[in-house]
Amino acid sequence: MDSHARLEEIFRAVLGDGSIELADETRAADLPGWDSLAHINTMFAVENAFGVEFPGDEFARVETIGDLKATLAEKGAG
Amino acid sequence: MTRTNSAPGLRPDDELADDLDAARTREVPPGDLCLRIARAYAARGETAESLDWVAAIPRAADSFVAWQGAAALLGRLGPDPARPPRRTARVAVLGTYTTDQLTPMLGLALHALGVRADLYEAGFDQLQQELLDAASGLHAFGPTHVVLAVHEGAARLPELSDDPAGEVAREAARWRGLWDRAGARVVQHAFALRPDPPLGHLGQRIPGSRQAMLAALNTALAEAAGDDVLLVDCDRLAGTWGKERWFDDRYWFLAKQAVALDALPLLARHTAAVIAADLGLSRKCLVLDLDNTLWGGVVGEDGLAGLRLGDGPAGEAFVEFQERILALKRKGIVLAVASKNDEAEALRVFDEHPAMRIRSEDIACFAANWDTKVDNLRLIAETLDLGLDALVYADDNPAERELVRRFLPEVDVLPLPGDPARYPRTLSEYLLFETATLGREDAARTEHYRARAQAAERRLELDDLDDFLRDLEMTATIAPFDEVRLPRIVQLVGKTNQFNLTTRRHSPETIRAFMAEPDTVTLFLELRDRFADHGLVGVLIARPDGGALEIDTWLLSCRVIGRTAEHAMLAELAARAEALGSSRLRGTYVPTERNGIVRELYATLGFERTGEDTWEYDLAAQGPPVNAFVAVDG
Repeated sequence: MDSHARLEEIFRAVLGDGSIELADETRAADLPGWDSLAHINTMFAVENAFGVEFPGDEFARVETIGDLKATLAEKGAG
Repeated sequence: MTRTNSAPGLRPDDELADDLDAARTREVPPGDLCLRIARAYAARGETAESLDWVAAIPRAADSFVAWQGAAALLGRLGPDPARPPRRTARVAVLGTYTTDQLTPMLGLALHALGVRADLYEAGFDQLQQELLDAASGLHAFGPTHVVLAVHEGAARLPELSDDPAGEVAREAARWRGLWDRAGARVVQHAFALRPDPPLGHLGQRIPGSRQAMLAALNTALAEAAGDDVLLVDCDRLAGTWGKERWFDDRYWFLAKQAVALDALPLLARHTAAVIAADLGLSRKCLVLDLDNTLWGGVVGEDGLAGLRLGDGPAGEAFVEFQERILALKRKGIVLAVASKNDEAEALRVFDEHPAMRIRSEDIACFAANWDTKVDNLRLIAETLDLGLDALVYADDNPAERELVRRFLPEVDVLPLPGDPARYPRTLSEYLLFETATLGREDAARTEHYRARAQAAERRLELDDLDDFLRDLEMTATIAPFDEVRLPRIVQLVGKTNQFNLTTRRHSPETIRAFMAEPDTVTLFLELRDRFADHGLVGVLIARPDGGALEIDTWLLSCRVIGRTAEHAMLAELAARAEALGSSRLRGTYVPTERNGIVRELYATLGFERTGEDTWEYDLAAQGPPVNAFVAVDG
């Protein structure tokens, strides 16, 4: 599974919505049901799945899925 | 994963079919796969199927994402009105940390155990207010169970005290006072102690250190709990999980989350098991297979002296497994045996093997015979007057486990791992033997059931097995003996007792001579199914005798009895007989003390009786014998 598919699976599971389709320009904050809890859950799931840590509020500063993929790639986990 | 252009929410049917195929090849399909299937069914409006796959997720490994998704899906689907749950409960979760994730996961874990739970969750750190305020949402909800999900930071204990006993007593009294306000059964999470106490090792020998007082508080709460309050030993769970990972301070600072999110499925499963036990859903009876489950080896082939039990790494593991089983019995779990074996031979192991820990008097119902496990589990349930949903079945053989799962879904199947060294822990970690109390009558249960078992004995019919056999996708290699396989063939000829028509112990030299005879048919059978490769498990030798082929030797290893492999071998023999110009097959049954299982074999295979123990099959008149379930590739 490539990183895009893994991210999509995580967002679907965490938001409880199997119909979510992610694109690079998708903004997490615009996804239906996104709130602070979804934020934490997603952050944790991404950390776990990719074996990375987002220090401080780094995760919160990521706006789009493209940004997230770039950040993961920087950490060598893309 | 393939990207698709399907309408949102609708996975195409072929993707669902692929996922179902993938799930079929795994005994316990992974959580993310179950979740995809559950979502696909939900999108098609097939709620019952979706809920079944949701219930499968807590049985897989504890994946946070799968649990999170399944809990959300369960919340959306709601209960299936067509299927009443085994129990219902109204469960309130009051936390001293963020419990938004734990609460729905608890609902999921309960769903998997057959409990339909209405959930109530108080906001972050509202535990005390909700309990004390008679007008709170908690009291309006009217719970049956109140889960107090606490973290160690919520214990009111100083870093260091001159009066540790007083501090602990006061704090324990505060919690007891809160319990009294619940108006329902309290499920108290005991405090998990942090891995980084400020005083380090010193803290353990200073009674006034916070870490020592927390340990004392756990003990005091346990003593106060008695039979009225249920406890979940979170310090043990945190230790099992690994405290370095259980405590992740980043999430506490960020979101007041005191338990690492990926540990929540474990916490939810254990909390649910404790509640289920309180609701009377504990399983009552452990049904044990024997060969390679209670001991290493097959008693019918290896004999009493050849079993791996007592000595050697595997032998010690089996002894330890038996000890754990006896511990369950002392807790009130009834033991039964369901084994494909000769009864007298199996009982002899219990009564005569010096390393056996479990003795025959520990077993309330002993079913060692050649019937299917499904038959025997039904017999055991009926004899002991228990529901099938009170049984847990332990067997090393994945195909037998699959058979039971398929025909008796009420029976829970213990997923024994391949290595016996891991059996003891698998049993100890099994949650459905959690019991709410340790009653004295429990320990006497076996006696009670033994008496009852002696009263009732009757045979049960088995459902149609054909589908199951087809589903095993058995394939066989059946071919003449060769040098490479000769040692295994000689071994089987030398030791097989039960499925052995003539029990002729030919020497290696004799067998080599048979191989050299042009008109003698020698056949070995290697059998595989979708769970396992059983290796070389069948041997047949047939020699020409006046226009007929006389079956000199025919045997199967015990481990494949009941698989119709004999039909595959007979069909192959018939084909070779025709090639040799023989149109008749002749068979002899030579009775021994141990081969009663094949007394009627030739009759079942369509042979005509020609003498007391001699049989004949006329290929020209009767046509080729049928082999329905085993694909032959060799």
